[in-house]
Amino acid sequence: MPIRLENKNNLTVCHIDGEIDINSSPGIKKAFDKLIAKKEPKVVVNFSKVSYVDSSGLATLVEVLKNMRTYGGRLRLTNLSPKIKSLFEITKLEKLFDIVAEEEEAISTFM
Amino acid sequence: MEKEVVIKAENVIKKFGERTILNGISLEVYRGDTFVIMGGSGCGKSTFLRHITGALKPDSGKIYLLGKDLTRVSDDEMDALKKKIGMCFQSAALFDSMTVGENVSLPLREHTKLERGVIDIVVKMKLELVGLRGFEDLMPSQLSGGMRKRVGLARAIAMDPEIVFYDEPTAGLDPIVAGVIDKLILDLSKKLSITSIVVTHDMKSVFSIADRVAMLYEGKVLEVGTSDEIKRSNNPSVQQFISGSPDGPIRFFQQKDDYLEHLIR
Ligand SMILES: Nc1ncnc2c1ncn2[C@@H]1O[C@H](COP(=O)(O)OP(=O)(O)OP(=O)(O)O)[C@@H](O)[C@H]1O
Ligand SMILES: [Mg+2]
Repeated sequence: MPIRLENKNNLTVCHIDGEIDINSSPGIKKAFDKLIAKKEPKVVVNFSKVSYVDSSGLATLVEVLKNMRTYGGRLRLTNLSPKIKSLFEITKLEKLFDIVAEEEEAISTFM
Repeated sequence: MEKEVVIKAENVIKKFGERTILNGISLEVYRGDTFVIMGGSGCGKSTFLRHITGALKPDSGKIYLLGKDLTRVSDDEMDALKKKIGMCFQSAALFDSMTVGENVSLPLREHTKLERGVIDIVVKMKLELVGLRGFEDLMPSQLSGGMRKRVGLARAIAMDPEIVFYDEPTAGLDPIVAGVIDKLILDLSKKLSITSIVVTHDMKSVFSIADRVAMLYEGKVLEVGTSDEIKRSNNPSVQQFISGSPDGPIRFFQQKDDYLEHLIR
């Protein structure tokens, strides 16, 4: 599984490794489903090792956000490469997500 | 920088019965380009498209799609290639018994393990790209021809293909809707860095979308080059086609035998 979870300061940091595409998205969604089942209040997703995200990957993140919102959970994305950042912009999703430059900042300011 | 070749045809020959339809076609398409194939009705454009998408095999010659030799790929390799290409057919080819949303989601439902909620979001994203967000629940019969084409386009890009093939995307549409489709093809190519292969005989489309153009005539490539090179071509046949003149070297009727001979035979 290209996803590693880490507990830090009462929140969960997800490190995803590789591509978030049609092949890996279903597995990544399952990992998030476990956090959602536990009603995890704050989740930070670190993209520093993500090389590529396709539409199904973006849709998976949207679905995770949607599911988390049902119980008031919050999702934050960090360390997006310029290429992935611009993908969020092109698809107009950058306003939907809470995107923070660095993981450290994302954690310390996650109130 | 050397441009990456994503499609390469080498001396492709195809006969249907006695008739040679493709008579030695060679060309290259570069990644990210919008490549237009133009030429008169019946000159073999659709047939050539069916060769480069792997639907037909040539009698001789080679076709490379994303580096794979289509004349020798295994079925598994062909399946993998098919996931990387999208097709937009002349007739839109929607399933009339399915909603717009079901039409667009079909490739995702058939070829991926994505869950329903995620697929629904992909569908919304693709319909947004073609300007049809909110039309998910309509049936194809409730749409205009131009809207159907756009649904077909949304379906073609559902799996994030690297290459999209369009057969006559603007045929039968009024000039404004045709312009909308052209702009969409361009936007998708640039935004999503998709390589587009467009078959058309709409001259206005050709020069508004093409990076490079190939003109086919009698199963051969008459000329290939950038839009500007084609516009400035000295070839009288190319100029005749661009201006749409009935008089010139291109013969518009291609009968095999003499008319009177045929009548009394
Ligand atoms: N499966 C087939 N069997 C026999 N002949 C065929 C077949 N497919 C196409 N042809 C012939 O090949 C020629 C080229 O057809 P094709 O559909 O490629 O033309 P085109 O350039 O796409 O024309 P148009 O602009 O009208 O769509 C035609 O004369 C057609 O009759
Ligand atoms: Mg045709």
